[in-house]
Amino acid sequence: MLRRLAPVVLAATVAACGRSEPADGKVRVRYLASPDVGGFSKVIIERFEKANPGIKVEMIEGPSSGDARENMYSTAFMAEDDAYDLAYVDVAWLPKFAAQGWLRPLDDLLPPATAALFLPGDMEGSRYQGKTYRLPIQSDGGMLYYRKDLLAAKGIPVPSTWAQLVAAAKATQSKEVAGFVFQGKQYEGLVCAFLEVVWGFGGDLLSADGEVLVDRPEAVAALTALVDAIYKDKVVPQAVLTYQEEEARNAFQEGRAVFMRNWPYAWNLMQKEGSPVRGKVGIVPMVSAPGGRPAATLGGWGFALSAYSRHPREAYKLAEFFASEESQKLAFLQGGILPTRRSLYSHPEVLRAAPHMKDLGRVLAAARPRPVHPRWPRMSDALQMHVSAALSRQETPEEALKAAATEIRAAAAR
Amino acid sequence: MRDSSKAGAVDWLYVAPALLVMGVVSLLPIFETFRLAGEYHRLAVDTRFWPVMRTTLSLTVVTVALELLLGLVMALVLWSPFAGRGLVRAAVLIPWALPTAVMAMAWRWIFNADYGVMGDLLFRAGLTASPQVAWLADASSAYWAIVLADVWKTTPFMAVLLMSGLAAIPGELYEAAAIDGAGPVRRFFMVTLPLLRPTIAVAVVFRAISAFGLFDLVYVLTGGGPGGRTQTLSVYIYDVVFRYQELAYGCALTVAMAGVLVLLAAALLSLTRREEPR
Amino acid sequence: MRPTPLGRVFFGLAVAFVTAWSLAPFLWQVVTSLKPAAEVAAVPVRYWPSTLDFGSYAQIFKARPFATYMWNSLLVGLGTTALTTGLAAAAAYAFSRLGLPGGRWALLAILGLSLFPGTILIVPLKQLATRAGLLNSLTGLVIAYTALNLPFAIWVLKSFFDRLPKDVEEAAWLDGLSRWQTLWRIVLPLSAPAVATTAILVFIFSWNEFLIAQTLVSRDAARTVPVGIAMLSGVTVYEVPWGQIAAAVVVTTLPVVVMVLAFQRRIVEGLTAGAVKG
Repeated sequence: MLRRLAPVVLAATVAACGRSEPADGKVRVRYLASPDVGGFSKVIIERFEKANPGIKVEMIEGPSSGDARENMYSTAFMAEDDAYDLAYVDVAWLPKFAAQGWLRPLDDLLPPATAALFLPGDMEGSRYQGKTYRLPIQSDGGMLYYRKDLLAAKGIPVPSTWAQLVAAAKATQSKEVAGFVFQGKQYEGLVCAFLEVVWGFGGDLLSADGEVLVDRPEAVAALTALVDAIYKDKVVPQAVLTYQEEEARNAFQEGRAVFMRNWPYAWNLMQKEGSPVRGKVGIVPMVSAPGGRPAATLGGWGFALSAYSRHPREAYKLAEFFASEESQKLAFLQGGILPTRRSLYSHPEVLRAAPHMKDLGRVLAAARPRPVHPRWPRMSDALQMHVSAALSRQETPEEALKAAATEIRAAAAR
Repeated sequence: MRDSSKAGAVDWLYVAPALLVMGVVSLLPIFETFRLAGEYHRLAVDTRFWPVMRTTLSLTVVTVALELLLGLVMALVLWSPFAGRGLVRAAVLIPWALPTAVMAMAWRWIFNADYGVMGDLLFRAGLTASPQVAWLADASSAYWAIVLADVWKTTPFMAVLLMSGLAAIPGELYEAAAIDGAGPVRRFFMVTLPLLRPTIAVAVVFRAISAFGLFDLVYVLTGGGPGGRTQTLSVYIYDVVFRYQELAYGCALTVAMAGVLVLLAAALLSLTRREEPR
Repeated sequence: MRPTPLGRVFFGLAVAFVTAWSLAPFLWQVVTSLKPAAEVAAVPVRYWPSTLDFGSYAQIFKARPFATYMWNSLLVGLGTTALTTGLAAAAAYAFSRLGLPGGRWALLAILGLSLFPGTILIVPLKQLATRAGLLNSLTGLVIAYTALNLPFAIWVLKSFFDRLPKDVEEAAWLDGLSRWQTLWRIVLPLSAPAVATTAILVFIFSWNEFLIAQTLVSRDAARTVPVGIAMLSGVTVYEVPWGQIAAAVVVTTLPVVVMVLAFQRRIVEGLTAGAVKG
């Protein structure tokens, strides 16, 4: 049977591979993004192409997992091919991409006056060694969600310190409702959540001149607080060790948690019709230790220019168009994409549709990027692993952070 | 026939097309790996290398052993005639047929701490105190979750290969053994197992190689956690090359991995070859 | 060899166990795929949906050109299977029967090729494919998969050919058939179990492969099913669309089940009892 089938199949396979490259003389600008849920990117691209008839945009909808897309970009850039003119990058990828020489600096294209219109954290996260590599399109930052109704029922004020958070969680939790949930699985999200606590305790991971601070007492105190919250105070269920964003949001949205650390995306979903916590949720910046400064870990996405692009000017034009106030407003209203332009957080049309944007603006104004270092992925992995080991009580907080610091120093020294 | 024909250059034509395809697609990248590999000294001081190697080896041994046992049972069952055998055979192949990356997601859902069916089933059976069990939060239960998912997925591969080996065993041997008064258990150990040995060798070698390279299941199910206790060599190499951009060291790790596999494969092959009848 | 009643019961239990073990996680996907969205994540776990909801199936075909993905996967799978089996059969025959000088070393070298993890191959593969103009092409995938499957296919077929009785071939030879004709007309049909086994395993490999497909293909027109499934997404980037993933798992399994049902009979025929000598 195979013998008879083989030629047919081969012929069909070859026939299916004809490639089409329309010769319309237009410049093509390509980039890879997550699937365009809601379709607002397509609308923006249509508008752009109408305004720039000489350019054709090819948005390649990649897998929804950011890791997978980072890998696809890396693979293309490592092969030095010009498959993508723009890279739609997570703020966490930027130092690595820039250090590899994969990105073209934007300083000649982006005047300082324009840069000043964006949220300061987003711009800071777009720079590497003094040069700007990214035009921020989508902002993001971690924060504390809380149940207004449950706190009010007990007459407990919204906590602003870690001790208050633990006390409030203890007072409001029950057998079915956990006190506090966050992202505790071994992955990048754990570092984001941990970093906010470290900052709140007055510590940091790296100093401005690159000194490793991971095993300093502030960081140890922060990790001890997290571990104690699970095993001593018992306000955090052990299941958080398997939680990513959605697991935490589901728990909170179904009314199974009083407090939650999460990104802004959770807000819209919790306010949807049929959500058990609709209208019962408040947001504040993450708590800190007395004397510490509340901080949010910055997330977010933006366009960077590939060093291998043959049409950098046209590509940048598209990035600029996506970053415009008009496009960002559309993306927010249609897709819930948080703007990076400061003006939109007080824009009447935006506030009418989403009054919470004022609170969000406050959180995002305090957002800080993760340490900017080309070896951040390795450093982050070392932290993820040892923080996770501490949370699952395989190591004590001191041991965990000492080991992480050793690995991070080794990575930095290389 | 080996004796009746003289091997000549023209005989290599049978092999040439296969060698050509493998040469271009597999050999070139492997050369590339050796060319790029460097920083071998880091293998000695890398604090990740040995824990990862230990996890990988232990997962390989445990999963392949379980698969061989279970695969033998499956092969024997599916080999004996019974009504509806075709359907059962198709059913047994389903785990192998599912894309690993996708099924790994499904397993994550099955082991989910809040909604997972695994916790609920065991709770209903009275084996756990609560239906909410955080399987993947604990180093050893996460390890066994990976073992379960991998054994489930790859046992059919083993079973099918072993069945093709059973097909090569002449039926009269069984009849002769039965006439000698050997029961089914003795027939298995006297006839089936010895004659199946070459097939078992091939199956185990290829399974061990791919178990040693276990990647997507771990990546999706645990991400190597908690505390790095389920990270495998492949996952680590992937991180080193693609996330850390340490290409030279990543290639060195790959070479080291291939070295270990050469030893492993050689050991397995010699183990099964020794007693093979000439 | 009539089984005792106890043996029958034991055998029945074994069949039941093997079937349940293989099917349970898959059936859970079937149930999940049929649940209304609100019941997918429910506490306590629901073992049967309140109403059968085919929304997840509708969504995967609506959100993505899933039919195209499946067609591509089918072409790639059949192409790879045909090419691999053909090339491997020729090579394995030469290794088994023609006494190639240095054949043993060549075989070991071929095994050595499969020692390198797929993850490390993808960057050089991408460069190769770019240079050969085989990006976004099903042909590129077929060639890559063929190369990756050849070592395994050659080894399986060779170990089967080794055990075929040689007298039939010698007879054919005396009848004036060339060696090439002997291979196609005599050896391959006699080896149906091994060929079918190899074909099924190779087909399933290419049906499931994710990493290379993801690397070499970035257009919907040439995407295969596993890559397509990775593109399913929920309302937000964080959401994992469990219902849709379950539906995709079910849909992608069907062609493989059909394929296995078509081929499994081949495994039974062929070499059993005295059929060879016939």
